[in-house]
Amino acid sequence: MSTVELRGPSAPATPAAPGLKRARRAENRIGYAFLAPWLIGFFVLTAGPMLASLYLAFTDYNLFRAPEWVGLENFTRLLDDPRYLQSVKVTLVYVLIGTPVKLAAALAVALLLNSGMRGQGFYRSAFYAPSLIGASVSIAIVWKAMFSDAGIVDVVLTGLGGQPGGWVGDPDKTMPMMILLATWQFGAPMVIFLAGLKQVPKELHEAAAVDGAGALRRFWNITVPMLSPVIFFNLLLETINAFQVFASAYVISGGQGGPAGSTLFYTLYLYLRGFQDSRMGYASAMAWVLALVIGLITAVMFRTSNAWVHYSGESK
Amino acid sequence: MKNRPVLTIAATLCAGVLGLTACGGGDAGGEAAAEGPVTLDYTWWGSQDRADRMTKAIAAFEAAHPDIKINPNFTDYDGYWQKRATEVAGGGLPDVMQFDISYLRQYADRGALLDLEEVADTLDTSGIAETLMPSGQIDEATYGVPISTNALGLFYNPAIVEQAGVAAPTGDMTWDQFDAWIAEVSAKAPEGVFGSGDYTGTFWLFDMHLRQQGKQAITEDGQVGFTKAELKQWWESTAELRANGSLVSAERTTQLLPKSPFGAGESATEFSWDNFLAGYLTDSGAAKLEIVAPPSDGDEKGLFQKASMVYSIGAGTEDPEAAAEFVDFMVNDPEVGQIFGTSRGIPASKTQRDGTTFEGADAQIVAYEESIAGELGESPAPLAIGFGTAESAFKRITEDINYGRTSVDDAVEEWFAEAESALQQ
Repeated sequence: MSTVELRGPSAPATPAAPGLKRARRAENRIGYAFLAPWLIGFFVLTAGPMLASLYLAFTDYNLFRAPEWVGLENFTRLLDDPRYLQSVKVTLVYVLIGTPVKLAAALAVALLLNSGMRGQGFYRSAFYAPSLIGASVSIAIVWKAMFSDAGIVDVVLTGLGGQPGGWVGDPDKTMPMMILLATWQFGAPMVIFLAGLKQVPKELHEAAAVDGAGALRRFWNITVPMLSPVIFFNLLLETINAFQVFASAYVISGGQGGPAGSTLFYTLYLYLRGFQDSRMGYASAMAWVLALVIGLITAVMFRTSNAWVHYSGESK
Repeated sequence: MKNRPVLTIAATLCAGVLGLTACGGGDAGGEAAAEGPVTLDYTWWGSQDRADRMTKAIAAFEAAHPDIKINPNFTDYDGYWQKRATEVAGGGLPDVMQFDISYLRQYADRGALLDLEEVADTLDTSGIAETLMPSGQIDEATYGVPISTNALGLFYNPAIVEQAGVAAPTGDMTWDQFDAWIAEVSAKAPEGVFGSGDYTGTFWLFDMHLRQQGKQAITEDGQVGFTKAELKQWWESTAELRANGSLVSAERTTQLLPKSPFGAGESATEFSWDNFLAGYLTDSGAAKLEIVAPPSDGDEKGLFQKASMVYSIGAGTEDPEAAAEFVDFMVNDPEVGQIFGTSRGIPASKTQRDGTTFEGADAQIVAYEESIAGELGESPAPLAIGFGTAESAFKRITEDINYGRTSVDDAVEEWFAEAESALQQ
């Protein structure tokens, strides 16, 4: 029984009486009982299926015949599959461009809201609203209508002297449309940025202003470093989310990733392979590659974070 | 030591959950065995409109067979197959199912469907045409009974044709004549209205085109039934129309979804299954749409009736006789025919067809199928596994050609690679 040695300095000096130990164990049990809904969810709905899909990734399985072990074949076939490569390309463009744009928008609006203007509460809610409804199917449908021929975007842009024509049917314009849709839902990172901005000590700004630093300079040299943990957190979260975009692409392209494969996001192709073509083995392999890549990117981000994330109170 | 409670709890939970799933898996088609009325699980895909009609048909059946209760369930088409796939993996298909010939083979291969020869005494198929029965048959066994049929046709919108001031298309054009007609309409019709969309993306139409030459797009044993050169020729047949803007553009077609250019009134013609008529009328708001036989370069029209859907019985049903009784009623009873009209296609069974009075669009479809009755070949057998993937790839790749993203040569290679890997499964 090692419990006694593990106790920290604040623990009572005398070992616990047997009765107390029993009470503690009972308490633990109650704790686990309360955790049960989560534990069931985790083991049955997450861990179990994940392990199953890990196995299926090495098999040929179409739901109808028993899974047949094929080793690494699914993984090697990915590299020869032009649609797979297309989906990787589409997703990477979306992540690499969409995420920074979205974060920049969130930070910009957070800075505006933090400047002490009137009616802040209202604006904060107004800017957050798209995020509340953003993930829903209905917004994707509205988006599609807005960007169609003679939709509002087409009308306004044509009025401003742009080329007429909707974006939905043009393979070159669907990606900007998807990125705009994501950017528009900047509410969640914005709120986190706003909370972070409130933590930046006013004295630093005042001191710098006294020394003659302009607004831009103060932003780069005070706000950004002080905010870097929050930026890091948002960047991590939004990158992971961006890799997994599905619902909006599914709705806007009618579930097929078109036009001309321009919205064939990774998860959408995974879904099509798994549930339209019943290639569960192949889809599982795709899912694991995605999980590994996201894991790897997260690890790299954590590793490099030492170089640019500044935690206040930390001595370097 | 400290970990033990976690393990115990996890183990208990798993056991409990396993118990639950076991219960869940076991009771499919359950209550049937007990005395009293038999209950059959029955499922179909379709709209609310179909569900309303189905409720009426089920009520009629239950009134005629008080000893059998039907437990109905329906979803949309995509969700339907996901659900069936999960059920077949878990071993609990419903007793009676509406089925599509593109899925029949997978389920039959797995032994999940009842061979309907076993209940032939109860389930009467004598009213169904001989040429149609292969739709549900695989290797001498019958896994599906055709409910209704449809056939390919060339739809046209007389209002647009008249506005363009050209002669209406007829059922005996050659492909070249038809292509020339498209160009003429596109030139003369108002801006934004065309003679046709790019019809070469419809896989069934290509199949029909091949049947005109005595071939078939995909054979029953899952082989591609044409050469790369033939596919190239097919896709190039509209190259000129594509190049000079005589077809509805890919951009526009994508934007119009879920309507088709024809449904949206921007195309004078479209090839489709004849039971699309009602939908086209609703979409376009046109007072009248016509159907004629598609073009052919020879005497052979390549036309066939396709079972638009079939009934199948789950192999695990507790009461095959009761299930057969229900299917027999749904396929043959004239009252059921009256309830559905042609909303599922034309009733396959003669008894049901004769007992139904067709009006309006329904009558038009029946008249069309009668007009081509002499041209019909044998109906396609249950489609090879992978057919659906090959078909959707065909559509997608044609779209890529129209977007100018790929050349016809590359497209041919891409389709063959995709189709061959899908058909191998």
